Amino acid sequence: MDTLNELLNGFAAALTWQNLIFAFLGCLLGTVIGVLPGIGPVAGVALLIPLTLNMDATGSIIMLCAIFYGTAYGGTITSVLLNTPGEAASAITTIDGHAMTKIGKAGAALTIAAIGSFVGGTIATLGLVAAAKPLGELGLLVGPPEFFALMVVGISLLVALAGKSMVKALISGALGLLISMVGIDPVAGAPRFTFGVDRLLDGVSFVAVIVGVFGLSEILSYRKGESTVVHAPGFRSLLPTGKEWRRSAPAMARGTGIGFGLGLIPGMTGSVASLLSYGAEKKFSKYRNELGSGAVEGVAGPETANNSHANAALIPLFTLGIPASPTIAVLMGAFLQQGLTPGPTLFTEHSEIAWAIIASLFIGNLLLVLLNVPLVGLWTSILRVPSSILTALILLFMVIGAYTINFSVFDVFVMIGFGLLGLALRHLQIPLAPMVLTLVLGPLMERSLRESLEISQGDFGIFLNRPISMVLILLGALIICSPLLKLRKPKALMDDDPET
Amino acid sequence: MSRKKVTAALAGAALLALTGCGANAGTNAASGDDFPRKGKSVELIVAFSSGGAVDTAARLVQPVLEKELGTNVEVINKPGAGGQIGYTQLTSAKPDGYTIGATGSPSVVVSPLDPARGAKYTRSSFQPLGRQVIDPAVIAVQPDSPYKTLKELLDAAKAKPKSMTASTTGLQTGEHFAMAQIQETTGAEFVPVHFSEGASQATTAFLGKHVDILVANVSDVTDLTKQNKARVLGVMTAERSPSLPDVPTFKESGYDVEAGTARGYSAPAGLPDAVAKKLEAALQKAIEDPEVVKKMNDLGLQTSYLSGKDYETFWAGQEGDFKKVLPLVQKKD
Repeated sequence: MDTLNELLNGFAAALTWQNLIFAFLGCLLGTVIGVLPGIGPVAGVALLIPLTLNMDATGSIIMLCAIFYGTAYGGTITSVLLNTPGEAASAITTIDGHAMTKIGKAGAALTIAAIGSFVGGTIATLGLVAAAKPLGELGLLVGPPEFFALMVVGISLLVALAGKSMVKALISGALGLLISMVGIDPVAGAPRFTFGVDRLLDGVSFVAVIVGVFGLSEILSYRKGESTVVHAPGFRSLLPTGKEWRRSAPAMARGTGIGFGLGLIPGMTGSVASLLSYGAEKKFSKYRNELGSGAVEGVAGPETANNSHANAALIPLFTLGIPASPTIAVLMGAFLQQGLTPGPTLFTEHSEIAWAIIASLFIGNLLLVLLNVPLVGLWTSILRVPSSILTALILLFMVIGAYTINFSVFDVFVMIGFGLLGLALRHLQIPLAPMVLTLVLGPLMERSLRESLEISQGDFGIFLNRPISMVLILLGALIICSPLLKLRKPKALMDDDPET
Repeated sequence: MSRKKVTAALAGAALLALTGCGANAGTNAASGDDFPRKGKSVELIVAFSSGGAVDTAARLVQPVLEKELGTNVEVINKPGAGGQIGYTQLTSAKPDGYTIGATGSPSVVVSPLDPARGAKYTRSSFQPLGRQVIDPAVIAVQPDSPYKTLKELLDAAKAKPKSMTASTTGLQTGEHFAMAQIQETTGAEFVPVHFSEGASQATTAFLGKHVDILVANVSDVTDLTKQNKARVLGVMTAERSPSLPDVPTFKESGYDVEAGTARGYSAPAGLPDAVAKKLEAALQKAIEDPEVVKKMNDLGLQTSYLSGKDYETFWAGQEGDFKKVLPLVQKKD
């Protein structure tokens, strides 16, 4: 019961009016950062750290954490309304989220996303309280071979994202892999696929690619007289129906589990969590055939998963002092600035601060819902803006977003180039989702493959000798083979065609 | 067009061209004096992942640097290829003072030496601004390892070469060099596993027992030792490290191995003098700031400041040393 006592003390500290204001400001800023494409959580948190330096330790960390998980929500808003992901973890939400907008259910999609984020975030925080220590150790069981096997499971979801044609999905997936390889070889250090262009040494900016492929190509593909944003929803459609709630619940449960599990593993990002969750819905949802055409599961699952991931990813930081993702690493920098060393000593040396921060995670997740559900109406009213003006504004935001990634015009051209590529792919009816999947997973997969083979000195048996990795590889194989098992009803497969 | 108008137009054009040039010349000459411009932030590129020692040091220096320069300083992580990705970005940036970077050796010294790496920079692409720290290399085993002393470990590795895996933070990094030096002097050969994303990944893999041995720097293991998660067997320096007073040096154990990494800050070569002076002064203030020094000590890092010029001399010396052992860490396949 010690833990409970400490948590209650934490709440007492987090509920002071100053800290409440900091949490609120963090949530608000996080949402705004998430909405703007290009400025992701890493840049958002990093830019605001200087502002918090003169604040007291607890307040500043509370605010930065709130910004961090707030972005995971904000990114959804533009994904759903404008088919332009505000940040990487929401890229997958565009598929069903925007499809829901097109059928006039934008409000329901945003509300479900907010509630899902709350559920995922809160349960992950409960996990942090209950079992932070043993769970942190669990993440360590995932070494390079297990990490690679996990990536195999991820890539096997290409099957789920395939749509009508497996060949087209594979083309899309291969494109993503190729793009992800541009840059400097991470081990040997030699440049590859850079065609002598210095700007490409650093690789192609992921955000520029997704903004181009999803957002720009969407706008470019309008035909005259047709607008993206089909209807502004009526007031009644702001709230999900009972049926939508019932359908969302299992997706949220799966999303929480996936996000939480991946959050414990150092090196995972929120986008992996949301992609895998979408894949899981494609596999396991009762309504999997509707995914892609505006199924609520396609929003509920990934949105829950990325918030669950964001909060669970704090577990390795708090318990082991290991920053599990780039954003968390920036947060860790903030901890250090404040004289707090993340890791087990945090709980022994700065117990009150640690617990106040944990308590603030609960408060912040609640604030996000309170902040965002009433605002759903406001956000969706964006859709009432005449489409010509809206299109111009979106274009402006996309250019600014692409530019601000590295403050480089080059990235704007990358965005435009990928917009054209996206347009071509849409025209050829090649699905875009597999490309995003391999773009995210490719580098992680390459890294863990090479590390594993160094450990085993070149023996591929390492993936099958280790129980966790073997189980995961088998699971991946099973997923890849599953369409073969369903040969009897090929019709069902023909139907799940993501609109993109 | 009348002649008058043409003359006027020409005059106008000439005037425009002149003022254009004038404005240009003006900014060039003044670029030192008005550096840094208000509201324009300075980017500090860290060529390693966040959470590692280079990153941590940079993030501790950052706030003082901001105060001294009177503008935002943003730490930007560009990990990969043992630092090469970040260094490439640093050296290809405009030498105007708004892009500086943390430079750590051997990574920054070594990558241009091996043509196989295709590095786009050499030592002269950098303008050293100041050294912050020297961080000796260490070798550590799992806390439940049967090897209690350095000698036991190295003897076992000699008896069965390549039977144990050891972490590095990438090909030809400090850890990889340290491993090569151990092999050269003692004959003990480990299997290097390159965690090119940096020290936090390497440490994670060690904690999860996916690699047997952690080759790292003092600062990486200070905390782990306190938590009893790693048993450090030897420090590769002449004297014991104040952060790990109980750990014998390699010399004490009878092996003549000294290795470590040095870290400092540099700009792309070609910085205007006035800008370089300002950055150097601000960095010295930040590096020697008592608060920063204390926090560095807490992390197991001993501050050891050198001015830009001395850092450059030190850098050149290191380059000579590394050239000698380079064949041992070159990719053989």
